[in-house]
Amino acid sequence: MDGSAISVRQLTKTFGEGDVAVHAVRALDLDIAAGEVVLIMGPSGSGKTTLLLMLGAMLRPTSGSVVVDGVDLADAPERRLPALRARHLGFIFQDFNLLSALSSLENVELACNLAGRTGRAARQRATELLERVGLVDRLHFHPDQLSGGEKQRVAIARALANNPRVILADEPTANLDSGHGREIARLLRQFAIEDGRSVVMVSHDERLKEVADRVLWLEDGAFRELAAMGTDPVCGMAVEQQGNGAHYQLDGTTWWFCSPACRDDFAAHPDKYQIREPA
Amino acid sequence: MMTGRVPLARKNLFQDRRRAALSIAGVGFALVLVLVLDGVFAGAMHQVTAYMRTSPADVFVAQKDVRTMHMSQSAMPAETVDAVRNVDGVAWVEGLRYTTAAVEAGDDRLLTYVFGYDTATGRAGPKRIAEGRAPAAGEIVVDTTAAEELGVGIGETVSVLGQSFRISGLSTNGTNMVNTTVFVRTEDFANMRGTSYAYVLAGAEPGVSADELARRVASALPETTVQTRPEFVRQEARIVRDMAADVMAIMSVIGFLIALAVVGLTLFTATLGKLREYGVVKALGAGSGRLAATVAAQAAWSVALGLVLAVVLSVVVGAAIGALTPNVEVLVKPGSVFRTGVGALAIGGIAALLPLRRVVRVDPATAFRRP
Repeated sequence: MDGSAISVRQLTKTFGEGDVAVHAVRALDLDIAAGEVVLIMGPSGSGKTTLLLMLGAMLRPTSGSVVVDGVDLADAPERRLPALRARHLGFIFQDFNLLSALSSLENVELACNLAGRTGRAARQRATELLERVGLVDRLHFHPDQLSGGEKQRVAIARALANNPRVILADEPTANLDSGHGREIARLLRQFAIEDGRSVVMVSHDERLKEVADRVLWLEDGAFRELAAMGTDPVCGMAVEQQGNGAHYQLDGTTWWFCSPACRDDFAAHPDKYQIREPA
Repeated sequence: MMTGRVPLARKNLFQDRRRAALSIAGVGFALVLVLVLDGVFAGAMHQVTAYMRTSPADVFVAQKDVRTMHMSQSAMPAETVDAVRNVDGVAWVEGLRYTTAAVEAGDDRLLTYVFGYDTATGRAGPKRIAEGRAPAAGEIVVDTTAAEELGVGIGETVSVLGQSFRISGLSTNGTNMVNTTVFVRTEDFANMRGTSYAYVLAGAEPGVSADELARRVASALPETTVQTRPEFVRQEARIVRDMAADVMAIMSVIGFLIALAVVGLTLFTATLGKLREYGVVKALGAGSGRLAATVAAQAAWSVALGLVLAVVLSVVVGAAIGALTPNVEVLVKPGSVFRTGVGALAIGGIAALLPLRRVVRVDPATAFRRP
């Protein structure tokens, strides 16, 4: 797999059959190098989460392969998948998903346990990781005693517990304010550089582009060229330019929109939106 | 959960302390019902067999095929006493006259075992006379608890088998939930009911075991039933147990069902509330077996703590019952605790089945869905 941390070939996921078949992911190819931070963006329903679930060994592809850390997840028997997740992958969720009955330390320690490390070694590892994300004074706090940013830092520490080569993050900044969002993005970038981990983020958050080595646009289950993407000046969404009927010419410049509604809004009050240059 | 691992089951169980306390208390109270019933039953058996257990006799001889005192009538000719005495290895013999009747004082009456014994040796008499003395002609020894219930004391008169007796003494440990015991001179008994004996008590010479003596007497008197004291006690306990077994079983099942409902409901509710978190743990790499073990451990914790609570409560309740109603003895025995514990663990296992099914089936992708 030529040194890639993740190698995806012709990855396809189809839900249902025949007339009701939904092609969530269509023959994707993707290679992610060690230490690379990849941001996958796209509209809702574009297949981002489906892709992430397949990369995370939680959903079987219809066809194709997903090789993570040298292991083909698509070929692995069902009973091995939990162990593969526990040993090769780190997960960060939009809603933090910390276990409410456990302290910060125990949340991270549990992930260490799942990866096969127990007792004092697990506790030491968990403590080190929480120190690393700046939460040494929050070790025994429970999730309801932490701020959103702190919760996500615990979640990052938990994702690192098994020392994974790949971290999969689902909307890691969605529930955070601007400051905490940047802080989390910076931490993910830091762990990619310092530890050589690959980070795959699925998000709508434009701020994450700042820390990404590569930004991929997923739409209708396939990657699109970002060069052919524009930004809707009304809602800020990334939108496809080619074949997009929702565009508007103004003073020799073409503006692209996600929908006729945004276009009409823009046309009615162009002065209000022209601060942003078209992408 | 294994040592050295984060105790997720215990943490989950005690996260909501009020719910955990309610669950444990619910299980505890349900099991108290089982333990106290068992204790009352054990106490009753202890009381019913008290006379036999405390007797100095090594063997009891009765009419052929009579193996108990309760629900039995035994009658043997007076010569049986001498016949037993002549058996090699017999150190002493004592004829015991016995029947069941009522002891009455005014309008109050209690069912009673009536014993006619030789006051000169006292071997077949009451184990202990707490107050007063052994009966003389026309006198009777009544159990202390029965005397209280009848409202009589030493010097007062009670009626047994249609004849009045003056109370000469008060014995102890002779009253149970069902009946009491009274003791009269063997001659007085014979005057009322004839000269036959119900049982012959025999003691073994030094070096002769009770079993050996029983064999010898049985061989010499084939028209009798000879039992050692422990066997006589066992048979008596068995007939009482058989009579109460159905009621006891029904009440125990009710207790266990209540515990099952409590554990099942709280465990199911707690598991449903944590289903998303179980999905997260699964996403992080926990197998279904591990999650199942977590749920099972929660059930085990609930049941174990409920059992501890139940044991403590049943001892307290037993003591309170004993203080309020002296004729009821509550004996919480280790064997009963063990049986109840095994039953409780079984219901914990059953209660965990439904939550286990949900947890095992939880999709790890749940972690990626918005709550």
